[in-house]
Amino acid sequence: MTNSFGDIQNAKSIFIIGCNPAVNHPVGFGHILKAKERNNAKIIVIDPRFTKSAAKADYFAQIRPGTDIPFVYGMLHIIFKNGWEDKKYIEDRVYGMDEIRAEAAKWTPQVVADVTGVSAETLIEITTIYAKNSPGTLLWAMGLTQHTVGTGNTRIAPILQMALGYMGKAGGGTNILRGHDNVQGATDMGCLSDTLPGYYGLVEGSWKYYARMWGVEYDYIKSHFKDASWMGKPGFTLARWWAGVLAGKPGEDAIENAGTNLKALVVMGCGITSTSQNLKIQQGLDNLELLVIADPFVNEAAILTNRKDNLFILPSATQFESSGTVSATNRSAQWRYKVVEPLYESKADQDIMFELAKRLGFYEEYTRSMMMHLKSDGYLEMTPGKKTFQWPEDATIEISRTLRTIGMMGWTPERIKKHTDNWHMFDEITGAGKGEMKGEYYGLPWPCWSVKHGGTPNLYNVDVPISEGGMGFRNNFGLEKDGVSLLAGQGSAPVNSKVDGGYPEITKENIEKLIGRTLSASEKDLCGANWKTCTSGKLVDLALEAGLTPYGNAKARAVVWTFPDRIPLHREPLYSSRPDLVEKYPTYADKANHFRVTTKYASIQKEKDYTKEFPIIMTTGRLVTMMGAGLENRASKYICALTPEMFCDIHPDLASQHGIKNGQMMWVHSPAGTKIKVKAKYSHTVLPHMVFLPFHFGGYMQGVDMTGNFPAGTKPYASGECANTVVSYGYDIMTQIPASKAGLCRVEKA
Amino acid sequence: MRKYIYALIALLSLATVALATDSQIWGEMRIQNILGYGQEESLKLGVWFTFLQSKYFAWVFLGVLIGVPTVFFLHYKIVGQKVFPHSHKKHYAFNLFHRTIHQVAAVSFMVIIPTGFIIVFGDFFGGGTLVRAAKNLHGIFTIPFAIVIIPMALMWIKEAIFNLEDIKWFMILGGYLSKEKQIINATQFNAGQKMWYWVCVLGGLVMILSGAMMFFMDFKIEMLHNLTGLSHIDMLRASAIIHNVMGFILVAVFFTHIYMAAVAIKGAIHSIITGYVEEEEVKFLHNAWYKKLKEKGKF
Amino acid sequence: MENARMKFYCDESRCIECDGCTIACAEAHELPVGIARRKVITIHEGIPGKEVSTSVACMHCTDAPCEQVCPVDCFYIREDGVVLHDKNKCIGCGYCLYACPFGAPQFPREGIFGSKGAMDKCTMCAGGPLTTNSHHEFELYGQNRIAEGKVPVCAAMCSTKALLVGDAESVSNVIRARVTARGGKGVNSSYGWDKAYKNQ
Repeated sequence: MTNSFGDIQNAKSIFIIGCNPAVNHPVGFGHILKAKERNNAKIIVIDPRFTKSAAKADYFAQIRPGTDIPFVYGMLHIIFKNGWEDKKYIEDRVYGMDEIRAEAAKWTPQVVADVTGVSAETLIEITTIYAKNSPGTLLWAMGLTQHTVGTGNTRIAPILQMALGYMGKAGGGTNILRGHDNVQGATDMGCLSDTLPGYYGLVEGSWKYYARMWGVEYDYIKSHFKDASWMGKPGFTLARWWAGVLAGKPGEDAIENAGTNLKALVVMGCGITSTSQNLKIQQGLDNLELLVIADPFVNEAAILTNRKDNLFILPSATQFESSGTVSATNRSAQWRYKVVEPLYESKADQDIMFELAKRLGFYEEYTRSMMMHLKSDGYLEMTPGKKTFQWPEDATIEISRTLRTIGMMGWTPERIKKHTDNWHMFDEITGAGKGEMKGEYYGLPWPCWSVKHGGTPNLYNVDVPISEGGMGFRNNFGLEKDGVSLLAGQGSAPVNSKVDGGYPEITKENIEKLIGRTLSASEKDLCGANWKTCTSGKLVDLALEAGLTPYGNAKARAVVWTFPDRIPLHREPLYSSRPDLVEKYPTYADKANHFRVTTKYASIQKEKDYTKEFPIIMTTGRLVTMMGAGLENRASKYICALTPEMFCDIHPDLASQHGIKNGQMMWVHSPAGTKIKVKAKYSHTVLPHMVFLPFHFGGYMQGVDMTGNFPAGTKPYASGECANTVVSYGYDIMTQIPASKAGLCRVEKA
Repeated sequence: MRKYIYALIALLSLATVALATDSQIWGEMRIQNILGYGQEESLKLGVWFTFLQSKYFAWVFLGVLIGVPTVFFLHYKIVGQKVFPHSHKKHYAFNLFHRTIHQVAAVSFMVIIPTGFIIVFGDFFGGGTLVRAAKNLHGIFTIPFAIVIIPMALMWIKEAIFNLEDIKWFMILGGYLSKEKQIINATQFNAGQKMWYWVCVLGGLVMILSGAMMFFMDFKIEMLHNLTGLSHIDMLRASAIIHNVMGFILVAVFFTHIYMAAVAIKGAIHSIITGYVEEEEVKFLHNAWYKKLKEKGKF
Repeated sequence: MENARMKFYCDESRCIECDGCTIACAEAHELPVGIARRKVITIHEGIPGKEVSTSVACMHCTDAPCEQVCPVDCFYIREDGVVLHDKNKCIGCGYCLYACPFGAPQFPREGIFGSKGAMDKCTMCAGGPLTTNSHHEFELYGQNRIAEGKVPVCAAMCSTKALLVGDAESVSNVIRARVTARGGKGVNSSYGWDKAYKNQ
């Protein structure tokens, strides 16, 4: 989220595409309703289904899944044609909009109508409303990301915002709704296979920085890798870890994993059955040599597998039995206090990790930096007399002194606790503190540059000084490209900036020039090479004094010259429901070594016309009563009373064609040859050529009841087929997120 | 017999397996039910039920409970009992089957009607265990009645069909307003008994059905909705109104039946106990039947 | 304000059928499964412009029809208008359900005959006739949050603050402010508000 839920109340129009906040963020949706109520904000929902959010919308477009890029280009077409774009904003703050303009010219309302299924009138109406009701905020979630073109989707959305000048404004921005509690925190902490914590890249410099901040030698870390080259290679992803297990078997994708398959899997608090290709997950689990699962409730993965040995289920503590920071979707932190000690034999996650580290023999190194403190010169030393660390405060301190790239320097345990304790002293809309908390924003939304900084409620906002949360776009990709400057234009720096224009990120070399004064030798000694690794904080302090954003003030890129698509391009899903469009909008070429595994694109799409056998569009999503794989939700009898079994939303017309009555069982078959048996639920929320499946159920596999695998007394109140069993092959070209939203299927009466 | 009763109970319980929250009353239909409540185009059954139950039902029952016996008390005092000699010949009119069926129904009524009154005047009895027990007995004793009502209806239907003579009977109310022993030209059942037969059989069926609906509450019988065009909750409301109104009639006629058998004609009740009717009674009160029996050489 | 009249109001322009009220109610009062003191209902689901969700429970009506029809007189109405009943008196006859416009009374199934036990319904989190906050009261009626100075749990948990509860004046003020902000739209929106409180 560039802004926050509260800030949505400042919007005059709210563009919801690829998310259903009324179901997935009920509390957050209150802000949207308030914006509608108090601000007369227009709510626009773009979704393949008439969702609960759509029920509250002023405008609704029922889009064909996987055609978000054409829809937004259609909007840009109309915006550019009518001159509604924010020309000065584009000139000063955006790089490469001309290429977008050229692509948008192709997407006339008629072409868009053909591709997306949304009429030209609706497109024009929605575009007009959105462009004329400034500022507009744009919301999305998995509906945009879970496509082969997910990255393209998540680029075209901010491009729309920048074309209209809605980015970096209160009531504007792109607000990406995190699906679970603390997902933002998990991402920030680097639960990804291609970054270190805080989005530090997999490069030697970052590893060396981390070695220093962890109080270990770089060579010590290196010694754990096969060789240094593997330190720079992304690992497997959650979506395709099983490919690392199954590689070598017939029909499986090739891997590049230093000549070995994956042998063991440790799952901690993750519903790994809620990704896609569930049958592959089952096979992956069956073929591991060791499977360890740590969860408060028995993870579905333990049930799904047929393995009889080397499967360990560890009871882990819930959030109520542990404490520490959690990050909200708007990048702000809260302190979570422990309510009770872990019950029975369950252990908090970190304790499980500590025990594992002890057994593996690196507990001392693992916890060392929590026994250290930062000297004024920015280097760590062992804290004299410290015998033990205090969890989680010492870990929080480690995070705040290490994760500088996203500005967590101000996130000390004391400050976060104080915010949580005084949550009533902050404004609901702006998050600004009152009284004692004046000058700070609730939860210190990052970047929070220093222990004195109050956090940044809205990213990229140049209308306020840095000290009050202002900032420009990040300078991350050089100073110029093909002769065009990548730095922001004159006059577009945050107010009270020493440099009223673009400038590069702060380094020891350019600091004097940028702040316009010469540093003393002692000051210079405190400066690291650049602001990201200057752990004394001197460079950041100097920048803030001069009203400069430490990471520079650059243009946002509409063109990414290193991506397969320089600009977002429409590409039909692998299993396209419009085979006639495949030639014009083909998918990518197959990609080797995509997070260590060859990932197929064109070879699947071109194989055949799938719509002959599988004429129905299938999409998946969430229910308000559940989340993720639904492990803890299905352990609640009251929730299960509301949603007692797995179902399929099907239009009565489609159902009657297949002789399926409301409440009868039906089969859903996927092009991958998998099938699930679910209860038909008549619904007008889906069009007659599509079905919707919620993905929270588990315990059944292609009609086979696996719930006998639950250890005694752990079976949830509700079990059912997992929608992901029929979610077919398909992964995003950059992130490898599974493409679960635009599939095909066939239905029949069971 | 027990086996059959248990089977019946099981069957009835099965009809209620539907989850209450899915039913029309508490599920999707709930909003429509609110909208329908008391609206112009609806039958306003909710409003009617509330009005009748809160204002009238209990008072009418009280009226029946006090009024009918009072009338009979006055009749007893003014007109008095009809006494026929029981020394004469007897005719075996009710066989064991007849009597068993009748006795089962009779016992059921002896429980159902007092418990019904306890429910109606539940506030007088203070609610709680006693009234709850009455409610359960009221339901449980419906089962034997439900079992015998069909055979009872069949075994006496021939005798219960009205004929022209019955009009005369009604004109003089069977001669019960006179102290004189008149010869009444009635068949085996006189018009009063026939009336009781129909009230008991038809009214009884209505009571069983409306009562069962209320007792099981969240049953699922789609056919009924289609047939009546009523929503589930409105069917319940209609059942409650019908059950009460039918209750007035049944109770009143039941009291009459008791009075006639036990008091108005001295000793008449023995005929349904022993099966034998007295010649004198038949001769005077069921003269048409008497003639027929004579022809056949009975007595 | 003493003797304020307590009312419920569900703002349909805000209710999103998150079922938070239903679950909160069931959890707080530890209700048996199948008893829904409060339930969210959506009508015309999937029909643009017509889909409406609302949360329904006992509205604690003015001149409560349930109280009028009860044959055992087990209902009593508090000074603040909260309609409560005595489960020890209740015989589970169902009359209150027939009289209720809102389908509020619930009946747990008891015994082999499928007979209904004592009626259960929303207490506006005000418990019952037994000793306030006693274990016995909790068993039969659930929490008595009102006695503890807390808001009824459904409204407290409502994600969008669609469900309002409080004294009539406060509730009216909130609704009025919302309606004014919306420019007068959605004035007569809440199903049953008029029915329950007779425009008072």
